[in-house]
Amino acid sequence: MAELNTRREFLKTIGASAAVLPLICGLPSLAEGHGGKRKQRLIIMFSPDGVIQENFWPDEEGTDFKLKESLKPLEPFKKQTAILHGVCDKIRGDGDGHMRGIGCLLTGIELFPGNVQGGSDTPAGWSSGISIDQEIRNFLQKDPATRTRYGSLEFGVMVPERADTWTRMSYAGPNQPVAPISDPYQMFGRLYGRVKDQETLKSVLDDLKEDIGRVRSNVSASDRKILDDHTTLVRELELDLKNTGKELAHAVPVIEPGVRIDNDNMPAISRLQIELLVNSFTGDLTRVATLQYTNSVGESRHRWLGINEGQHSLSHEPDTNKDAQDKLTRINKWYCEQLAYLAKRLAETPEPGGQGSLLDNTTIVWTNELGKGNSHTPDNVPWVMVGGGLGFQMGKSYKFPRVAHNRLLLSFAHGFGHRITKFGNPDFCGEGPLPIFS
Amino acid sequence: MNGTDRKSKILMAGVGASALMLAVSASMPSAQTAATASKLAGQAAYRRQCSVCHGEKGEGSKKYSHALAGSRTAASLAAYISKSMPPGPAAKRCTSSDAKLIADYIYDAFYSPIAQARSQPASFSLSRLTVRQYRNSVTDLLGSFGSQAGADPAERGLKAEYYKTGRPNGGSRVIERTDATVHFSFGTGTPGPAVPDPYQFSMKWNGSVYAPDTGEYDFIVRSEHAIQLWVNDDRTPLIDAEVKSGDRNEYHGTRFLLGGRWYPISVLFEKGVTGVDNIEKVKKKPPVTASISLEWQRPKLPAEVIPERCLTPRWSPAIYTPSVPFPPDDRSIGYERGTSVTRAWEEAETSSALDTAGFVSTHLRQLSGVPDDAPDRELKLKQFSKRFVERAFRRPLTPDLQEKYVDRHFLPGQDPALSVKRVVILTLKSPRFLYTDLAAAGSAPDPYDVASRLSYALLDSPPDGELARAAEAGELLKPEQVERQANRLLADPRAWAKLREFFLLWFKVDQVPDLAKDPKQYPEFDARVASDLRTSFELGLKQIAFGENTGYRDLFLTRKVFLNGRLAKIYGANLPEDATFQEVEASPDERCGMLTHPYLMSAFAYLKGSSPIHRGVLIYRNMLGRILEPPPAAFAPLASDVHPDFTTRQRVEFQTKPPFCNGCHQLINPVGYTLEKYDAIGRVRKTDNGKTVDCSGEYITGSGDKVRFTGPDALEKYIAESPEAHKAFVEKLFQFLVKQPVRAYGKQMLPEMVQAFDSSNCSIRGLLVRTAVQTALKR
Repeated sequence: MAELNTRREFLKTIGASAAVLPLICGLPSLAEGHGGKRKQRLIIMFSPDGVIQENFWPDEEGTDFKLKESLKPLEPFKKQTAILHGVCDKIRGDGDGHMRGIGCLLTGIELFPGNVQGGSDTPAGWSSGISIDQEIRNFLQKDPATRTRYGSLEFGVMVPERADTWTRMSYAGPNQPVAPISDPYQMFGRLYGRVKDQETLKSVLDDLKEDIGRVRSNVSASDRKILDDHTTLVRELELDLKNTGKELAHAVPVIEPGVRIDNDNMPAISRLQIELLVNSFTGDLTRVATLQYTNSVGESRHRWLGINEGQHSLSHEPDTNKDAQDKLTRINKWYCEQLAYLAKRLAETPEPGGQGSLLDNTTIVWTNELGKGNSHTPDNVPWVMVGGGLGFQMGKSYKFPRVAHNRLLLSFAHGFGHRITKFGNPDFCGEGPLPIFS
Repeated sequence: MNGTDRKSKILMAGVGASALMLAVSASMPSAQTAATASKLAGQAAYRRQCSVCHGEKGEGSKKYSHALAGSRTAASLAAYISKSMPPGPAAKRCTSSDAKLIADYIYDAFYSPIAQARSQPASFSLSRLTVRQYRNSVTDLLGSFGSQAGADPAERGLKAEYYKTGRPNGGSRVIERTDATVHFSFGTGTPGPAVPDPYQFSMKWNGSVYAPDTGEYDFIVRSEHAIQLWVNDDRTPLIDAEVKSGDRNEYHGTRFLLGGRWYPISVLFEKGVTGVDNIEKVKKKPPVTASISLEWQRPKLPAEVIPERCLTPRWSPAIYTPSVPFPPDDRSIGYERGTSVTRAWEEAETSSALDTAGFVSTHLRQLSGVPDDAPDRELKLKQFSKRFVERAFRRPLTPDLQEKYVDRHFLPGQDPALSVKRVVILTLKSPRFLYTDLAAAGSAPDPYDVASRLSYALLDSPPDGELARAAEAGELLKPEQVERQANRLLADPRAWAKLREFFLLWFKVDQVPDLAKDPKQYPEFDARVASDLRTSFELGLKQIAFGENTGYRDLFLTRKVFLNGRLAKIYGANLPEDATFQEVEASPDERCGMLTHPYLMSAFAYLKGSSPIHRGVLIYRNMLGRILEPPPAAFAPLASDVHPDFTTRQRVEFQTKPPFCNGCHQLINPVGYTLEKYDAIGRVRKTDNGKTVDCSGEYITGSGDKVRFTGPDALEKYIAESPEAHKAFVEKLFQFLVKQPVRAYGKQMLPEMVQAFDSSNCSIRGLLVRTAVQTALKR
């Protein structure tokens, strides 16, 4: 029997019509797919400096909508895409718009006062609360059934080597920013370093045993005992290594070597990080990941698109500057291409030991610290989601009446069955999770 | 028993409950006493009836030349003896009860294989590196490819630079000086008139920090402003609080450091704002306060401001320090040794090899000096690998070993960095690295063996560059050449680090005893005083034991004590309250020798009272080198309210009176009584429980002479001069240094070393050099 890709396909195959659907969904075994709970995953992807609104938001509301220029790359995944307009970051307090933009984005709570001075407003420090990715990570790590080796992985693409409020969006707790890893080779070492080391170790053990034997023949009879014991230990180590080799669930990926970490290699770095991210899911090393392109106030130069100006400088240009608007639209379209590539890689990778593809069990959330760069507005922050991880109703353009983004953060938690009623500043959690569940 | 005494019992465990031999009541049965009695009876019967032919220890005589040794059981020996011994008329045979006593005695004393092994001369055994030696070896191996640390720096404190801007920049530096410690409070003002703006200024402190012990150090910075701290890493801060956030003002960071080494440290303080330079926005409010304190928590000790004596403005190179936890080494015979390998050790060693290989990989360019794009990178990395293996093995490579350890790992088409990694892993797992002395038994050591033995004996570390050079130049063949090197090595900070470890072990305070005292009786004695006492003890120890002009005798004759303001107040010296540690001469009736140091007196005491037994056991075993059998059981000390009018001395005397206690306690107690004038915190007292303290005591020497003491001075003078004590000291230090039994170096080694020690005015430095030189050159 052929593998069934999605739950929807499964339902179609067994001939369930719309009328009997609620009944079937009431049966836990079917609702959760075959045999036990499916693995659920979340990726939060960040790109900076706001978007060009009229080239981003669909005009329509509901399931029948058209993708605007910036979101065109999502065309192949339109049915698995949800676009949420009207979600606003209502957190105020210390820090300038960009600082609060990234620092409150996933935490939903104010920044501490501090010594980092922005271009306007008062100086601020780190966020005063945990971010939603880490909250979900902790929730999953508590349960042996969902616990993974890393719990969460934080990928970066050209995030500057500088720890300040503008470069951190993930927080393990108040005052505990989590630094993303922007070097794919460092990330590779973190994920697979020990495995590689063990291979190297295994490859020298024959030489080692041989030399212990030679040393042994040179020492007195009474001194041989300790070397005999030593040889036994080396043999045991060899056996251990053979056994651990078998346990490794997936092959160590081969990644392109020698990509230098600099601005012009951003597309190549992006691909490498996406590759490692997908592999970390295949190996079930984590179920939560963030993928952060540059930083709040990001000034990357998208020269591969023929754009030589820095992104942040461009984003300050007035709406009347059509050239800047065009360039920013193309820049955001490029980020959207990265999102689409990530979705594609997940879609073409079958869920190991489960049903469907990785994308069926993953929700990718793409967001930004601002709604619009030149006004620094925290209203209508971009929230675009792809994939079936959290059981949201996809293939839909949502229009909300200026709701607080804390409610969306709550929805992410609820998607994992983590039914918290408040997250971040409780004043903005009002009516609970947004009604986006299918 | 009251509550406090129950606590005393818990404290006892910390100071060594096994040393206790007290009985609660005289009716307590004792199997041990019976066994001792029958052993003595057996010995007497053997001497009476057998030794005339078989010799005192069964070695035989002219009448019967075979030694009494074999594999019969004691019972079968008894049967044989009663049937046939002594030879001659059957009427003169042993009674069966005598035969059994004799059989049991000789079986245990010299007949059985176990007894034989016990009496055989100790021999040299092949040993792996101890954990301390291993860590030093890896550290020095990698360190040898980086910048070299200079000699032990003399200056103390940290180099300080003050800037009038919120972030340091060359143009804004207004003060340069040395600060003793980093512990400042500027209020809402500035560090001085040179710094005009209370809204923004910054400071940088640089230099090195000395780690006295090996272990985890918790570094703590307290400040209301932005700070960064680097320790043993020039690139990544250990604490990065350059972003000031909320009201957090205490930061922690942990580093694993090796004792006896200097590590680079720097601290940055910034008051003002970062990001967009817009201080005017901050100036709308009054200036806030500013302070900074650089503290640490050393292993097992309370947190304190990092003291001046552990800081120097001199730079030191960052050094790789293997921090994988290892199982502790076997120390059952008084010193750490590596005569066995276990699975836990092998796992730790493997994991450490992988960690180290990882470090070499990520720092390959700095360590090898070979740029990533060098056209002859492979060749150069091969040469680097060869040097690495040679330094690890502490000798040049034969062509055969070069092929096995280097050449064959450079496979065509393989990234040479991976080849280096293979070489490093194999090398660090090789017995040629992991074992200290592979010179074949009986053959003369070559100069490389000499260099290695010398360095491990004195520093627990592999030969440094100069020693390796001397070995290569053939300059380590004559004793005077080796002696010159030994004297040079004594100036290395690691020499004291190793010797310090010996003394802490000898004085039985290596495990850092818990000095908790009854707060009602000793309200002034808290954790800070306890920590100060240890510092005072260690300062005194180093001053005397490692001084150029002091020696073993001074340890027991000194009247000097290091005190700071806090200790002076308690122990009665005239110092200002905030005085730092300084040497103070005590009056003759107060202190005499290190044994009367308040640290030891507090450590070998209870919550409330002194403990003559613990004090006596320490001296009897460690200083006088006598053997005590462990007590038959652990006993709680008699509660003080059982005989409320007793002094401590009377209570101890009363409780240990039963014969099966008294066998040992008659030896221990009178030694401990001499220190009765020191209370539980080591303060001098005139009375105990309202009665004048009695410090008279005595000691029965190994040859049975009774020595009487009028008090602590007499006891310490005796230990300073006693040949028995000299021999015990020489033997213990010798074995601690070389990690082999002294008898393995021949019967004459110990008496010769003791004689040389005596004729050198008991110089400890002399003993160190002699031990290291003699064992380095020995076949």
